[in-house]
Amino acid sequence: MPGMGAILRAGTSGPGARPVVVLVDDDEAITSNLAPFLERAGLTVHVAADGEAALELVERLDPDACILDVLMPRLDGREVLRRLRADGRWLPVVLLTQVGESAERAIALDEGADDYLNKPFDPHELLARLRAVMRRARPGRRPLSASPALRAGPLRMDRISRRAWLRDAELALTPKAMLLLDYLLTHPDELLTRDRLLEVLWGFDFPVGTRAVDNRIAELRRALGDDPGRPQWIATVPGQGYRFAASVEETR
Amino acid sequence: MTTQPSGTWWRPVVPLLVPLLAGAALGAALQAAEPAIRLYAAVAPGLLVGVAGLLATVVVAAARLARQRAAVAAEAAERDATARAANDRLRFLMRLDHELKNPLTAIRAGLANIEQAGAAGPALESVSAQASRITRLLGDLRKLADLETREIETAPVDLPGLLQEVGEAVAAIPAAGERDIQWSVPQAPWPLPVIEGDRDLLFIALQNLIANAVKFSAPGDRVEVRSSEDDDWVLLEVADTGIGIPDDEIGEVWQELARGRAARSLPGTGIGLALVRVVVTRHGGQVAIRSRDGQGTVVSIRLPVQGRRGNETPVADLRQHRDSRGTVPA
Repeated sequence: MPGMGAILRAGTSGPGARPVVVLVDDDEAITSNLAPFLERAGLTVHVAADGEAALELVERLDPDACILDVLMPRLDGREVLRRLRADGRWLPVVLLTQVGESAERAIALDEGADDYLNKPFDPHELLARLRAVMRRARPGRRPLSASPALRAGPLRMDRISRRAWLRDAELALTPKAMLLLDYLLTHPDELLTRDRLLEVLWGFDFPVGTRAVDNRIAELRRALGDDPGRPQWIATVPGQGYRFAASVEETR
Repeated sequence: MTTQPSGTWWRPVVPLLVPLLAGAALGAALQAAEPAIRLYAAVAPGLLVGVAGLLATVVVAAARLARQRAAVAAEAAERDATARAANDRLRFLMRLDHELKNPLTAIRAGLANIEQAGAAGPALESVSAQASRITRLLGDLRKLADLETREIETAPVDLPGLLQEVGEAVAAIPAAGERDIQWSVPQAPWPLPVIEGDRDLLFIALQNLIANAVKFSAPGDRVEVRSSEDDDWVLLEVADTGIGIPDDEIGEVWQELARGRAARSLPGTGIGLALVRVVVTRHGGQVAIRSRDGQGTVVSIRLPVQGRRGNETPVADLRQHRDSRGTVPA
C-alpha cells in the first residue's frame, strides 16, 4: 500500500497538513525527548528503535522524511539507508552521525543521505535541517544527494570518483574544494552560511575564520571561470554566505 | 663520555685490548702446537700479525654491530611505547566521546522540550548553558582526536599572508584592543620561506596562541608575534608580558584539558595548547614553551621549510623537546 499513502498525502498536503517523519534511534532517552519536541513543532513523528523496524515503518507509512541514527545494533543506519535507496525510496533522510571524519561524510553523501548532523546536536538545528530537506525533496524522484552524477549546464560531476569537468576540461581541485563543489551542487539555490560550509569541510564547527571558506570559494570560482561581480555559478549572499545559482539535474 | 653509566667504562679500551689478547692467544696456541707448525709460524711472523689483526677486526665489528642493534631495538621499543600510549589515549577519547554524546543529545532534546512547553527562568537557563558547555568540551576533544588521525591536506602556505589573516581575526577579540600587539615579519634579506601545510589548521594554531596571550594578560600588556627563519625551519613565537605559568604547571600545559590555577577563573575548555601541539606535530614541527610566573610566557613553534627537511610525511610524532623549564612532549 505504499503507493496509496503517497497518493493520499499528495491529495491532502495542503498548507495545514502535518508532515510525517520517522525517527530511528536505539536510545530510548533520545527518542522519548526528541519526538515530543518535533511533534510540538508541527510534525507527526513515528519512532523506530532499530533498523528493521525503521524499514517496516517506512514501508507502511511512506513518510515525508526520516531521521536515521547511524550506530544501531543489527541493522545500522547506513544499511537502512542503502536498502531504502535500493528499493527506490527517495524520501529525504537526515543521518545522525557519530564521528566528524570527512571520509564518513563522503560516504554519507555517496549513499544518498540528504543531510547529516553530529551528535550531540541542537534540536532546533535538526528541525531546521529537516525542514530544509523536505522543502528540497522532489516527490517520487531521486534526490540530488543520492545521484551518482550531476550536471549544471556545461559543468559535470562524477560524485563517486570525485571528478568534475567544465565542458571537456577536467577541473583540478583540492579535495576540500571538491567537497565544497559537491555540497553546492547537491544544495542548489539554497542559502549556505559560511558556518555551514565550514562544517561541511571539516565535519564539525571549526573556528578557522570565515576566510577559510572564502578561500575555497575563490578557488572554485577561479576553476569555473566565474566572475564574483556577475557570478554565473556561485553567488555571494552579502553578510551571510553563498548560494549555488545554476540549476542542477542528475545525469545517467 | 662523562655522563656514561659507570658499568661501561671499559668500552673505549676494547678496540685496543682485543688485538693484543687475540695475538697472545694465538701465540699460546702456537706454542702448544706441532714443531713443524711452530717453525712455520716462526718464519711467518707477518702471517701471525695478519691473522690476529683480522680476528680483532671481526670481534670489534661484531661487538659494535651488537651494540648498535641493541640501541636501535631500545629506540624502537621506546617509539612503540610512545605510539601505544598515544593510541590508547586516542581510543579513550573516542570512547568517552561515544559514551557521552547520546545522553547529551537526550538532555538537549529534553531541555528544548521544556522550553517549548513555555517554561523559562534562571534555573532552566543555567542548565541549558551547562549542557552547551559540556557539548563544547566534547566537541573540542573530538576535534583533537580527529586532527590526530585525519589526512592532512598540504599545500604551499605563504606565512606573511597567513599572519595577516590571523591578525585580522585577533583584532576581533574584544580584549585585543587593550593589548600592545606587535608583529614582526621579516622582509630582509628575504621574506619568510614558504612552508608546506594545511593553511586552515595553521591559522587555528596561531590564532589560539595569540588569543591565549591576550587572555592571560591585562590591559596595557605587550604581546609580540615574531617570525624568523632558522636554517631549515621557520620559527614562530608568541610572547606576552602576562601572568605567566607557575613552574609546577608548565609540564602539563600541552595536555588536553590542562587548566592552570590562574585559568580556572577564565572561560575556556583548556584545549587550546593541546590543539596547537597536535597541529604543529602533524606538520612535522615542534612546540616549546618558556614562562616565568608573574612575568609572561613565550610559546615557540618550529615548522620545517618546504623541501628542506623533515617534512616527508606529516604524521603525529611525539618527539621530546627539552626546554629550560622541563621536558615537553612536542
